Amino acid sequence: MATENLPETAPQLPSFVRSTQYAEDAQLKTDEMIINMGPQHPATHGVLRLLLTLDGEIVRHTEPVVGHLHRAQEWQAQNRTWYQYQALIDRVDYLSGMFTSWALARTCEELDGLKIPKRAEYLRVIMSEMNRITSHLLWLGTYLIDLGAMFGFPFYPFRDREKLLDLLEAVSGQRMMFNYIRIGGVQSNPPLGWFDKLKEFVDTFPSCIDDYEAIVTENPIFLKRTKGVGVMSKELAMSYGVTGPCLRASGVPFDLRKDRPYSVYPEIDFKVISLTGQGDDTWARYICRVAELRESNEIIRQCIEKIPGGTTEELRKKREECKACGKADCANCGGDLAIMVKKQNSGIRIKAGEGFVPVESPRGVLGTYITSNGTDKAARIAWRNPSFSNLSVLPELLVGAPIADIMSVFGSIDVILPDVDR
Amino acid sequence: MTEQPEAAKSAELPQEIPLGPYGQFLKDLGIGSTRLPDSVGTAGKVETIEIDGMDLHQAMKSVRGSETRMDFLLMVSGVETNDTWDSVYHLWSYEDSTKELVVKVRVPKASVAEGKLPAVPSITPFWPAANWHEREEYDLLGIKYFGHPYLRRLMNPWDWEGHPLRKDYKQPVDALNDKNPHSMR
Repeated sequence: MATENLPETAPQLPSFVRSTQYAEDAQLKTDEMIINMGPQHPATHGVLRLLLTLDGEIVRHTEPVVGHLHRAQEWQAQNRTWYQYQALIDRVDYLSGMFTSWALARTCEELDGLKIPKRAEYLRVIMSEMNRITSHLLWLGTYLIDLGAMFGFPFYPFRDREKLLDLLEAVSGQRMMFNYIRIGGVQSNPPLGWFDKLKEFVDTFPSCIDDYEAIVTENPIFLKRTKGVGVMSKELAMSYGVTGPCLRASGVPFDLRKDRPYSVYPEIDFKVISLTGQGDDTWARYICRVAELRESNEIIRQCIEKIPGGTTEELRKKREECKACGKADCANCGGDLAIMVKKQNSGIRIKAGEGFVPVESPRGVLGTYITSNGTDKAARIAWRNPSFSNLSVLPELLVGAPIADIMSVFGSIDVILPDVDR
Repeated sequence: MTEQPEAAKSAELPQEIPLGPYGQFLKDLGIGSTRLPDSVGTAGKVETIEIDGMDLHQAMKSVRGSETRMDFLLMVSGVETNDTWDSVYHLWSYEDSTKELVVKVRVPKASVAEGKLPAVPSITPFWPAANWHEREEYDLLGIKYFGHPYLRRLMNPWDWEGHPLRKDYKQPVDALNDKNPHSMR
């Protein structure tokens, strides 16, 4: 015990105050204590258990215990046909079901060498960007609840998310487990009047984001809880394989949509949000996600203008005029306007081979490593989930943090526990 | 299942595939590798190489180094084939979007003694991205990553018996199983 380093006159504190800062300054050693947090903690949005080793209020070591939601998705892939498995994989990441479907579909299509019609690709981009907005909005609302803003604010993101969920339900039949993106295309064209409603949303949504930012971004309480908390350096993020907004907030402009462009993203003009010198902290991650809301909104606006065949009403009218001439390059009823390149049934087979072709989900690089032996079932499917890699960095971020910051840091990573456990 | 051995045979027929750029890069450093049939990736065909387990540390450190900058380890996955246990590493580069590499370490089933687990060296000590992936593959497939600092089950409970993704896995008769006469259900 280094008594010579103690201050001569200790600050006068009431005896019931146990100031952690004081203990740190005076180099007092307290007994370490192991505390269990979870698995049913209201702020984990799922079931995550943390074994915390605490020194007073300071976290010295964290061991996340995952697997409470393990549903053996990989085992199920080997025991179900491709067609049956497609309906299951929305449950891997229930907040962004479009992306999990797309990850499987994209790898299968690359293995099979299928070329997807342009209209289907545009519909995929529209739906998945809508899904990205809903996912980020849910994160925004619940993150503020985690930080203690229980009343008022969280209703605004949920109100706007509800509009998008209604639109997604109208086109796919489900609010969250869409099963809309299939191997070879998409499930259906949107119903009549759908594009008008989407346009209405896209026009009004930027003002909604302005409202969120007016309430949250410069809020002193929010700044105190997030500025300088959970600093993740660029090197740390890269060594742990962190992707998505968490990585971009640390200053690495890595976005699959730009870096390794797929689908129709090369035809769309959008920016990759990457923040350098903004502290690499939870506040930067918040800024990054809110900026992505605007970018996704712009992508949807451009897609509505550029989609081949136009809205569903226009497409129907063109097809009636053309009387379905059947020519492959016809501008009114040609192959580009189809939504599915290959009719699906339960006997669908994927060519033998192996591949890993991921997509950029709201949380990062999401993909499946598929080994197919040419039968109607997969030989092996291994998932690469962004939440899984992003969560593994949590123990590093929590070293030396007070116990009150745990949920601030954990929430800012935007982990979905079913995505971790599969 | 009947088609699988034939497909595997035909894939193995061309024994000598010339080395790709990464195979050559490793050869210049004195690390031997075998090129396997290309897999599919974001940029079309991706070079897939097989490395002996003993060379894995050296190969991964070299490939991650400043010359090739394959500094993004996407995933470590285990695959059970008919006669090998594969540990598959998917590598990208954060900077160069055209780079892609798949590294495999294959342990022949014949070389694994009865009741033992196939062993592959762990790369977690110098690459933390592999940490949870290796624990997961240990849990589900029973590939033992030796040198891992904390090789415990990740998905299943700590006292689970067997490795569920194996082909010879038998589901234990536990409290939730109807075949158990002592079941609570």
